[in-house]
Amino acid sequence: MKTSAVFSAVLSLLSLASADSSSDKGSSQTILSTAFKPGPVFKNTNLVHIVSLEKNYVKETINVAIENIAKKAQDAYYLPFTADQISRLGGVEVKDRKDTSGAPFTAEVVELNPESDIQYLRIKLPKPLAPGASQTLGINYYLLKAYSPLPAAIKQEEAQFLTYTFSAYVPSVYTTLKQKTEVKFSSANIPDYTKLPGTGDVKEFPQKQGTKLTYGPFDEKPAGAYEPITVRFEFNKPVTHMSRLERDIEVSHWGGNVAFEDRFTLYHLGANLSSLFNRVKWQQAQYYKAPTHALKELRFPLRPGSADPYYTDVIGNVSTSKFRANDKEALLDIKPRYPLFGGWKYPFTIGWNSDAKNFLRKTAAGGYVLNVPFLEGPKQPEGVEYEQVELRVILPEGAENVKYTTSIPSQSITSADVVIHKTFLDTIGRTALVIKARNLVDDFRDRELIVSYDYPLSAALRKPVIIFGSLVAVFVGAWVIGNIKLEFATSPSKK
Amino acid sequence: MSAEPIQALVDVGKGKTTRGVLRVIILALIAGASIASRLFSVIRFESIIHEFDPWFNFRATKYLVANGFYNFWDWFDDRTWHPLGRVTGGTLYPGLMVTSGAIYHALRTLTIPVDIRNVCVLLAPGFSGLTAIAAYLLTNEMTVHNSAGLLAAIFMGIAPGYISRSVAGSYDNEAIAIFLLVFTFYLWIKALKQGSMLWGALCALFYGYMVASWGGYAFITCLLPLHAFVLICMGRYSTRLYVSYTTWYALGTLASMQIPFVGFLPVKTSEHMPALGIFGFLQLLAFLDYVRSAIPSRQFQTFLWLFAGGTFAIGLAGLVVATSAGIIAPWSGRFYSLWDTGYAKIHIPIIASVSEHQPTAWPAFFFDLNMLVYLFPVGVYLCFQKLHDEHVFIIVYAVFGSYFAGVMVRLMLTLTPVVCIAGAIAVSSLLDTYLDARSPKPEEQVAESSEKKAPKSGLKSTDKPLVGIYGLWSKSAVVAAMGVYLLLFVMHCTWVTSNAYSSPSVVLASRMPDGSQHIIDDYREAYQWLRQNTKEDAKVMSWWDYGYQIGGMADRPTLVDNNTWNNTHIATVGKAMSSREEVSYPIMRQHEVDYVLVVFGGLLGYSGDDINKFLWMVRIAEGIWPDEVSERAFFTPRGEYKVDAEATETMKNSLMYKMSYYNFNNLFPPGQAIDRMRQARLPEVGPTLSTMEEAFTSENWIIRIYKVKDLDNLGRDHISAAAFDRGLKKKRAPKKKGPRVLRVD
Repeated sequence: MKTSAVFSAVLSLLSLASADSSSDKGSSQTILSTAFKPGPVFKNTNLVHIVSLEKNYVKETINVAIENIAKKAQDAYYLPFTADQISRLGGVEVKDRKDTSGAPFTAEVVELNPESDIQYLRIKLPKPLAPGASQTLGINYYLLKAYSPLPAAIKQEEAQFLTYTFSAYVPSVYTTLKQKTEVKFSSANIPDYTKLPGTGDVKEFPQKQGTKLTYGPFDEKPAGAYEPITVRFEFNKPVTHMSRLERDIEVSHWGGNVAFEDRFTLYHLGANLSSLFNRVKWQQAQYYKAPTHALKELRFPLRPGSADPYYTDVIGNVSTSKFRANDKEALLDIKPRYPLFGGWKYPFTIGWNSDAKNFLRKTAAGGYVLNVPFLEGPKQPEGVEYEQVELRVILPEGAENVKYTTSIPSQSITSADVVIHKTFLDTIGRTALVIKARNLVDDFRDRELIVSYDYPLSAALRKPVIIFGSLVAVFVGAWVIGNIKLEFATSPSKK
Repeated sequence: MSAEPIQALVDVGKGKTTRGVLRVIILALIAGASIASRLFSVIRFESIIHEFDPWFNFRATKYLVANGFYNFWDWFDDRTWHPLGRVTGGTLYPGLMVTSGAIYHALRTLTIPVDIRNVCVLLAPGFSGLTAIAAYLLTNEMTVHNSAGLLAAIFMGIAPGYISRSVAGSYDNEAIAIFLLVFTFYLWIKALKQGSMLWGALCALFYGYMVASWGGYAFITCLLPLHAFVLICMGRYSTRLYVSYTTWYALGTLASMQIPFVGFLPVKTSEHMPALGIFGFLQLLAFLDYVRSAIPSRQFQTFLWLFAGGTFAIGLAGLVVATSAGIIAPWSGRFYSLWDTGYAKIHIPIIASVSEHQPTAWPAFFFDLNMLVYLFPVGVYLCFQKLHDEHVFIIVYAVFGSYFAGVMVRLMLTLTPVVCIAGAIAVSSLLDTYLDARSPKPEEQVAESSEKKAPKSGLKSTDKPLVGIYGLWSKSAVVAAMGVYLLLFVMHCTWVTSNAYSSPSVVLASRMPDGSQHIIDDYREAYQWLRQNTKEDAKVMSWWDYGYQIGGMADRPTLVDNNTWNNTHIATVGKAMSSREEVSYPIMRQHEVDYVLVVFGGLLGYSGDDINKFLWMVRIAEGIWPDEVSERAFFTPRGEYKVDAEATETMKNSLMYKMSYYNFNNLFPPGQAIDRMRQARLPEVGPTLSTMEEAFTSENWIIRIYKVKDLDNLGRDHISAAAFDRGLKKKRAPKKKGPRVLRVD
């Protein structure tokens, strides 16, 4: 009874605490009434859309100058997406281009109508924009699982080509006066792309400069203007996709240790093999170090001070890993058991320990503050995307008053709960903070998670006292049982 | 002044409690040593399940833990023996899985988050500690000296004959069965000595546990009646024997019949008949005992002979009739192979193909038991000197165990306990004699000489003249020599354990040029690939050795596995492997095979590969289809088994050969392809495959996986389709030779 009361208190505190870090943790979607439709209250005076296809996820940046053309001050700017895009959309960050020092604006997905294909991202302006006033927004977001390989199946030694389809004009609910779309690639080999008639002195869009295509500038487009563009480009690198990452961070005060464990479910979403894996060709290609779209290696730059790494999968230890650690770095290089080609899967687990003093501080008020990286996945030149992330911070038994903040965009965080996790001779169980996030990419590798909690001395002493007490009880019990004489009295006279 | 501490030291071992505490500490240390000596593979590699059978036990344990006991009991496994399936719950000995399941749940209740794999890996070492303690208890029943028990415990703990089947990761039935064997024997001796129903019931309980754990329970089922029979023949029938035997038999048989796999076998098969026979015989003896007390002795003699002869004749006739009528099953093939070591090779090649079923080579005894080999007869001889009921047991066990250990390598395991006990008795009596610091006193000599005056007072062995050693030098020399032997024994055991018995065989270790360890992990690479990148129900065909591993690691349905319950099914796989593609393809289609897995050691020089096992596949297939598969056709005219250019056509066209060497020559410069295992230069043109395609080959080529092609889209057979694909370019050349001719078919 008492413990549940404590935890409900913790929960309520948490909801208070999270309120100032991010708006709504229960769900990142807010359902508005179906009658709602964003009105033409803004005008995009100038817009630059940068589509970056350099990594195995799409990073889009929209820099837009907006002007309030309504009669009233406005505080919400809407950006439309299709339902499919919304499910793959993540890491939305909006900033004022003129004033980069300020905190990022709140951006959340609002759902008008579950059946409708168009859904909106609502950007809350920190200060309502007065009629006629203008502001410059920098909107950054990522789209996962964005590509489809063409051809869908290739030979082992062939280069991989991907396609991506998007609109030449930013789909907007507002009229756009002037806009330009830039597409960036990782290689200059772009065999196919949609061509559009040019405007002004440019005959034909796009203009190609090295690894960049530029569509536009276009003149005034009405709200909802759409012009599909498909690009097909060489991407002879693995399309690494983590469908799920479960990350456990276990804090031990007695051991002075923070233990990390990451469980990845890794997929290669690139082109499949048209003829099955051929070891001879693979060995020859390895010998000549030929470029390949297969995933051979993953590199994890861990925080300095990391120690005792392990790398396992469902059938045991994987011996193909290297760990280099010194004062300045701790680099874990792992190889999957087999090279991964398109459509192949490889779930694996890595884990390591670190000294608690690297992450844990005691505050002046007597509480504790834990500062850990939110994501520590592999750092690959081609990027890594994470569809589902479940982060579990397991605090010591009896920790209370748990609060957290994180610099991960709030749009990506779907839920955060405090639960009880029972392990290693626990009696009441440990306090665990579970944060679920989705659609993250490795750009957020260095974002931190700060958890603060109280850990009274009585809680710290609970376990040794209980273990000592139960051992004493066992010994006393054994002694008592040993002293019981179980036999028939041989003769009544002896008694 | 200085005498006091020395005196205190001498007195340490004298008090009863001190000795008791010392014994407990020594036993705990022995148990610790026996556990520690089994951890080589965990330290060198990792906590991993070893070899083949343990993978099934591990998979079954996981099923038990996940689904509960009743589902486990009713488990029908449709992922093995495709398309037949296996009634797994009814065809296994559940003792091992239930034991680890219970340990797992107990630890979880104490909120110790232990992984079921670690429970399974460490179960065998844990139980070996218990075995050492059980050996201590059993030996203590034989002698009055506790030192013999302690020696037996340490021998049992580190004897390689037992370690061979109980290293960490060797998660097999024997892991707990040897403990149960020794402990059941201990309880039996205890029951027999006291004539106690309680101990008899406990003996039956552990016998039931043993039956639930290992097929080798038949060893107990035969040994205890034999012991009773020998005692009766020696004229040692007593009510103690009657009480203990009947209690054990009645309760033990009921307990054993609770196991579905055993069921009614205890009353139906010949292996169990001795136990039943002795049970009946004891009833008769008890009856005769009663009659003797009731009628005069002259009449009793006649009555006895008539009665005994009549009963024996009726019993034998009944047994023969019941056996021929099929009510009692005759001896099973595995038992025949225990009498005639050549039997299996002729009649059941599948049993003969397992290396652990081969007759034991003589060096194996020394390898597994070291100095205990020569101490063992001494211990047995010492048992003859005392010859109480329990010593008869050791003698009977020794004779029986030695025979079986000589017949089958695997049964070295059942011999080891008695060797350890007899050896410990020998060493301890030697040490007891020579470690006594006092010299025999003159009075004893007097007593000795006075005894000499009446030498014919009894049997020579019961005389027991008091013998003592006088010289301190001879004492120290003998003790030192014994100490050296014991040290050598420990070193030998450690060496054998470390070098011979601690390889998981799933992972292979090699050394890099710089001396660092390099792990060859091809098995798991390929199994993981199968697990992750094939359909959940893709059927994998492989030789039966790998069935359990594929089930455990790759989690894919298999055609045959190490259970070998269906010889025909195994022969079918053997036929598919040893026939031409045209013959194999329909077989594989009929069995819905998606992938075929072969083990190939030619690149690395790995000896346990399929080409080396190939002749067994041929033999087993030939046993069922003598017209279609012939072993002779795989040998060259000179009778050699070759894989190079001289290999026979049958060999070169067999599916196994093709799958092993497919694409292999492309790894080498033309004409240079060499099979490093068989030191054979392969033909320049490698084999071609038309009904299947290479799907995966592991890093060192140990595992090669092929995908069976679907039917051709154009309805051609695969041979012509493949020839068409290959031949397009080649066919153009002959076209130019002559004028075009209209082909009329």
